[in-house]
Amino acid sequence: MIDAPARFASIADFEGFARSLRSQDRTGTRSVRLCMGTGCQAKGAARLYELFEEAIESASGRGRAGNIEVKPTGCHGLCQRSPIVVVEPAGIFYQQVEEPDVAEIFRETVLGGRAVPRLLYQDPESGRKLEAAEEIPFYKVQQRIVLSQNGRIDPTKITDYIAAGGYSALVKALTSMTPEEVIAEVEVAGLRGRGGGGFPTARKWRSCRSAAGGPKYVIGNGDEGDPGAYMDRSLMEGNPHSVIEGMLIGAYAIGSEKGYIYVRNEYPLAVKYLRTAISQAQEIGLLGENILGTSFSFDIQINRGGGAFVCGESTALMASLEGRPGEPRAKYVHTVESGLWGKPTNLNNVETWANIPHIINRGGKWFAGIGTEKSKGTKVFSLVGKIANSGLVEVPMGITLRRIIYEIGGGIRDGKKFKAVQTGGPSGGCIPAEHLDARVDYEELTNLGSMMGSGGLIVMDEDTCMVNIARYFTDFLLNESCGKCTPCREGLAQMRHILQGITKGDGQAGDVEKLQALAEILSGTALCALGATAANPVLSTIRYFRDEYDAHILDRRCPAKECRGLFIYQIDAEACKGCGICLKNCPVDAITGERKAPHVIDEQKCTRCGTCWEKCPFTAVLKV
Amino acid sequence: MPTVTIDGHSVEVERGATVLDAARYAGIWIPTLCYHPALSSEASCRLCMVELDRGDWRQLVTACNYPVRHDVIVYVMSERAQQARRGVMELLLARSPDSQELKELAERMGVKGTLWPKVTESQRNCILCGLCVRVCEQIIGKSAIGFAGRGADRTVAAPFRQPSEDCIGCGACAAVCPVGTIEVRVHKDECEVEISPFKSRVKLLVCKQCGAPILSTQVCEQALRNVGWATCLPMQACSQGNVGMGRKSAHATFWPELRKRLRLCPKCRRLQTAGRVASP
Ligand SMILES: Cc1cc2nc3c(=O)[nH]c(=O)nc-3n(C[C@H](O)[C@H](O)[C@H](O)COP(=O)(O)O)c2cc1C
Ligand code: SF4
Ligand code: FES
Repeated sequence: MIDAPARFASIADFEGFARSLRSQDRTGTRSVRLCMGTGCQAKGAARLYELFEEAIESASGRGRAGNIEVKPTGCHGLCQRSPIVVVEPAGIFYQQVEEPDVAEIFRETVLGGRAVPRLLYQDPESGRKLEAAEEIPFYKVQQRIVLSQNGRIDPTKITDYIAAGGYSALVKALTSMTPEEVIAEVEVAGLRGRGGGGFPTARKWRSCRSAAGGPKYVIGNGDEGDPGAYMDRSLMEGNPHSVIEGMLIGAYAIGSEKGYIYVRNEYPLAVKYLRTAISQAQEIGLLGENILGTSFSFDIQINRGGGAFVCGESTALMASLEGRPGEPRAKYVHTVESGLWGKPTNLNNVETWANIPHIINRGGKWFAGIGTEKSKGTKVFSLVGKIANSGLVEVPMGITLRRIIYEIGGGIRDGKKFKAVQTGGPSGGCIPAEHLDARVDYEELTNLGSMMGSGGLIVMDEDTCMVNIARYFTDFLLNESCGKCTPCREGLAQMRHILQGITKGDGQAGDVEKLQALAEILSGTALCALGATAANPVLSTIRYFRDEYDAHILDRRCPAKECRGLFIYQIDAEACKGCGICLKNCPVDAITGERKAPHVIDEQKCTRCGTCWEKCPFTAVLKV
Repeated sequence: MPTVTIDGHSVEVERGATVLDAARYAGIWIPTLCYHPALSSEASCRLCMVELDRGDWRQLVTACNYPVRHDVIVYVMSERAQQARRGVMELLLARSPDSQELKELAERMGVKGTLWPKVTESQRNCILCGLCVRVCEQIIGKSAIGFAGRGADRTVAAPFRQPSEDCIGCGACAAVCPVGTIEVRVHKDECEVEISPFKSRVKLLVCKQCGAPILSTQVCEQALRNVGWATCLPMQACSQGNVGMGRKSAHATFWPELRKRLRLCPKCRRLQTAGRVASP
């Protein structure tokens, strides 16, 4: 499978091999990089791959193929425009490619070297057709470090990773740095955990290194249970070796010989690619006993998670790895001292791990030059919700939310108005328009009542009811709570009960204060961070959208017109053409009117089912 | 030995003891529900919250599992600690409003009642402290019951919510339950003992003499095994490595006697002993 000696017996052997891969003459090689990320696969990328292969085959039958390859890659990021195809060497970026387009791309671009304008990205402002990804605003504002090779390399080929410079950081660490020097470099970088808490990575490593006892374990957390988030998934699927290399360097620094990567069971492709990557690394001696002929040994095992959100929490994850129910336990004794099987264990998020090779290669100083005073480097976000360009983005710390949403994300979909953005996953807070100039920074987001989290960004527009959003996330967290401790189980159930009441029009004066009291119990007494942060969506929406709560409770009105029963339907007499479609579809005969004359809804009979609103071809039915 | 200062009173405890140990040593009461000295601390009820002095800030911690590793200062009666415990108790009262035991504990804590409605289902007042689950696993060694379901749906049940095959009907779970959820029911007609609400049933051993039900057959067997094992251990040690011999002789002398005596109800056993004393 790999054109390499069975196992490199020394670092010099490996370096020779890597050098030959990196200096390979690729002039004249034309390649079609095809995104095989989740979004593109869902839109038929696998079939496109076959079609390109067939096209190459028939061209080579006619003696015209030369050096042409199709390269399946991980997520390119602009999932909104999937499937995505990039043709090298010119780097022409095609979007929303469909099966019939393959022949044209192959003939015009691959063989002819010309772009197919029809399939290019059109800048919504200037109307210009853009050829290269770098010109597209979505990519231009990003700074890709962790994702730099995503969409460029074939994740199933270790040679692709090595050719792009992969495993050179490991070699550097093994040949010229002591474990302490590695930790010092990560400390200079100022890297903080990307999985939620933002704990300084070097400090965690150092505690684990100096903890008494052994064996020591390192773990990659790829559980990613946040709804709508797929940063870690795309990383594991698009560049699995970067996570492995990071863990290797960390294990060397900490003094560990055994690692685990815990991946959500719902990510079969990530599991498959990680397995492939691990076995390829083992094959050539980058994992296993005496790595590259040195005295350093380390191996990694993949474990598939049961799919519960709480299993991403460090102690629950370790319990699950041990084969026990995935429930958190108290952390008064830290896991770096007593973690997996009671041994010193260092857990980091997979994105944290993937940053390590870059820090070792380019130096902690370089890394620390990106970002804000206390938040360094970049962060990957999955930008979803009511946004024009949803997708996977990597931005430098310190960038404003406004730039992410408007420059990268292209603003709100369908010309609607922005209302809020939720950062930090289900227990993050909702940040309103007046704070759009807040910077992506651990402390700044926390001060706004939200958090960095692991990188979910959910954009909400004017049609989103913030009380309903709070209810939705409370409901999610209650369902995902393990139920072990009283405040989380009972407190969230009480919160949900109150929020359900408010969104159904049964809100009572004093409900908001009750929610705040419950929030205080939760944050003070819950066993793990799920419960302790679970009130963030409620508290932040009360903080920034109190008027919406009051409208629901005091006026029995939902300003966003989302909560059924808290607004009414009316027909706009001027827009109504009297077609009678609503009248025919109304299940309770609440609509009357002559043909070709404006219709009316009988408010007493109407059950607010919304059928007329959906059916009216002239949008004459209004929510008021 | 580190010193723990609780509301101004200082006690010295072994390193690794908990704040609760220290408080009990100092005679200071902290309410607990999911704690039992014979079992591991899971700190799941969150009733034993106290405030820990961290220098420039104070942290709420659970006393039952916070390990004392150096000198610490804690507050049991500070406003914040009391409020935290009250908050947890009020949520529990909402869950299990009919539990007399819970009400008594609440009263002792000075909690008058709860403002929260009942929104979660609880099986016969079960507060999910988990003592039954832990005693069955850690002391009895059976793991016949465990937790099922997540979040508000969490319950204690035998696997697949079916009567357990592993249950020996010992009733240890009922003994540790702080709110009386678990009951040991004797079905005389079927000669069975039931551990309710888990529906597990075990045959009862009947007195050889009078036919009265004595105890679960499985408990009897486990008792015999444990006692027999314990008796042969010292013999093993003095039999110069001849383990087989040692055990055999233990079986030969102690077991039949023990077995016989266990198969009598206490009344008939007394009668038998009395008879023996009277006519040796
Ligand atoms: C409920 C809950 C879910 C979590 N889920 C994840 C997750 O999916 N992935 C992750 O990396 N960290 C998750 N975390 C954070 C982890 O507990 C842990 O802090 C993190 O993996 C440490 O790595 P880092 O220092 O590199 O961020 C979760 C935490 C909580 C409380
Ligand atoms: S806070 Fe919630 S998720 Fe965490 S241990 Fe308690 S019940 Fe489980
Ligand atoms: S007694 Fe300490 S948490 Fe239950």
